Amino acid sequence: MAGDRSQEAKAPVLEVRNLRVSYTTAAGPLRAVNGVSFYLWPGERLGLVGESGSGKTTTALSLMRLMQDTTVVEGGEVLLDGVDLLKLSEEEMRQARFAKISLIPQGAMNSLNPMMKVGEQLRDTIRAHQPKGNSKATIDARIQQVLESVELRLNVMDSYPHELSGGMKQRVCIAMSILLNPKVIIADEPTSALDVVVQRQVMETLRRVQVALGAAVILVGHDMGLMAQFVDRIGVMYGGKLVEVGPVRGIFKDPLHPYTQLLIKSLPNLDMKDVFRGIPGLTPSLLTPPPGCMFHPRCPQVIQRCSVDIPKFVEIKPERWAACHLCEGGRQ
Amino acid sequence: MISLLEAQHVSRVFHSGLLNKGHTLAVDGVSLIINEEKPSITAIAGESGSGKTTLARLLLGVIQPTSGSILYRGQNLAAMDRPTRKEFRRQVQAIFQDPYEAYNPVYKVDQVLTTPVYKFGLVHSREEAHERIEQSLRMAGLRPEETLGRYPHQLSGGRRQRIMVARALLLNPRIILADEPVSMVDASLRATILESLVKLKREFGISFIYITHDLTTAYQVSQNIYVLYRGSVAEVGGVEKVIKQPKHPYTRLLVSSIPLPDPDKHWGGESEIESKASAPGAPQAELIGCKFSNRCPYVMAECQQTAPPLYLTDDNRAVACYLHKSGAQISGKEMAELLANL
Repeated sequence: MAGDRSQEAKAPVLEVRNLRVSYTTAAGPLRAVNGVSFYLWPGERLGLVGESGSGKTTTALSLMRLMQDTTVVEGGEVLLDGVDLLKLSEEEMRQARFAKISLIPQGAMNSLNPMMKVGEQLRDTIRAHQPKGNSKATIDARIQQVLESVELRLNVMDSYPHELSGGMKQRVCIAMSILLNPKVIIADEPTSALDVVVQRQVMETLRRVQVALGAAVILVGHDMGLMAQFVDRIGVMYGGKLVEVGPVRGIFKDPLHPYTQLLIKSLPNLDMKDVFRGIPGLTPSLLTPPPGCMFHPRCPQVIQRCSVDIPKFVEIKPERWAACHLCEGGRQ
Repeated sequence: MISLLEAQHVSRVFHSGLLNKGHTLAVDGVSLIINEEKPSITAIAGESGSGKTTLARLLLGVIQPTSGSILYRGQNLAAMDRPTRKEFRRQVQAIFQDPYEAYNPVYKVDQVLTTPVYKFGLVHSREEAHERIEQSLRMAGLRPEETLGRYPHQLSGGRRQRIMVARALLLNPRIILADEPVSMVDASLRATILESLVKLKREFGISFIYITHDLTTAYQVSQNIYVLYRGSVAEVGGVEKVIKQPKHPYTRLLVSSIPLPDPDKHWGGESEIESKASAPGAPQAELIGCKFSNRCPYVMAECQQTAPPLYLTDDNRAVACYLHKSGAQISGKEMAELLANL
């Protein structure tokens, strides 16, 4: 699957290089994303997982340049088809959003305008990008096509968001994200507010439209189960850094980084009862990060070097990247 | 068996709109028994709108049933004298979903612990109160010196939730209702909090009612499970039976929708049910017969006429579904008794 993708697609659609983002807080700058690098192949589904404060959502929103005023991109590159999104003007970036890179936001159900009919919101999305040359009929034809692909009846166009169920609103958000055929769709915890049955149906819809469109997806979340079911590759974030990236099966069968190992062991499954393996300790403070590896205060395999040197994020073996001194040292 | 906490065919209707035009049957004839002599963890599982939180609030006496009754040690909550009610409020504790909202941000966390100790007059001196608080913090897996004297924002969500566990423990309860206690806690801490519930049952004989939408954690911690659908029990029994070999079409749909953390165990094995059991439709106030009939791929004529009773399909499991009518019919109360005695 993901393993031979490098042959079929020569160039990644998205490449993030050494992204650094910080928040201005009363107590000083807080480094939320600290040197994150990854690539995304065309049509690929990549998961970004991490606990709260790991920087996954900040990373995702930075790619879209949708940040609050207190957020500063300190450095790095976000190359979409070779163009650095961080260098675009505001107007160029506005044009790129939805047309090239789109977002299904966290709590998407509340992101629709409650005062506006769904159809009008979808039309607006098209008009904002293609102000000229589109008759209402062609716009509506496109909207109808997209609504059908996310399995919504056309009459939702005349509905207000509150008239729709959570799953339907989520589908509207998916429809909006694919309206302009983007190359990359970022889905930030798209189903966290939905029940399991609806969650599965919505995720299957997302997968189907994504495959049909050939778009790549970055799924941001904390639910490893959802990742296992949906993505090709997983990137595990901890304390603002990527600690491991690899194909989904490799990550679950043979996690390299001690944090990933503990995270996977901590997951409840239906094979074991009364067995609990939490990760001792707490997530690091980003205001006063520990020296060396961010995970070393909680790591059961810690060695002396870990509290001094920051481990480099390197390719340990084909397609398997990790930032851990133990892996570098040839533990494999 | 001594019944510690019991729901006897309770129902609760919520009215909405002017002149009570709309009404919702949030809980519909549910019976449940917690046996005082055998500490247990009983899961109440369901999706949003299943009535699980309403049932919890009924069991806590926060709201009153429209019909049926809640009994604490055989006494009806509605007709309880003040001393017994105080006793009930001490022995039946609750932990809620959101460890952020339970605190007053301008008070130190100590306040949520000292208030109940004094309110229930459990101690005679400051020292005694302090000792008791430290002891329950340790029982909940917290170090008192790292916890007391802090403000809520200085503690992580996982620790705040554990303080809520400690708070529940302060009063030496017999039973704790935990309503989605880990759904807002990070994955790495989830296991630790669930483990402390199981430990408290094992070491101190405290029973739990674990209310959740998450069947995986329900399976991990509990012995018995009640699966609710729109206020009614769809399937009830031992977790091994209900979750490993679900029988009600709704339970089967739920179980097959769990995203298992294993890329090789693919989502939605039950494809037949999958394709036909559609997403929940618009809420129907008056659905005659089985409440799942409008989504059920196996719907039969009788399903749309009368709501199915529980049928015993195994020695410790009953299903409210006509597909299983070869089993002996059993009332909700009898089933609750059967499980409480196991």
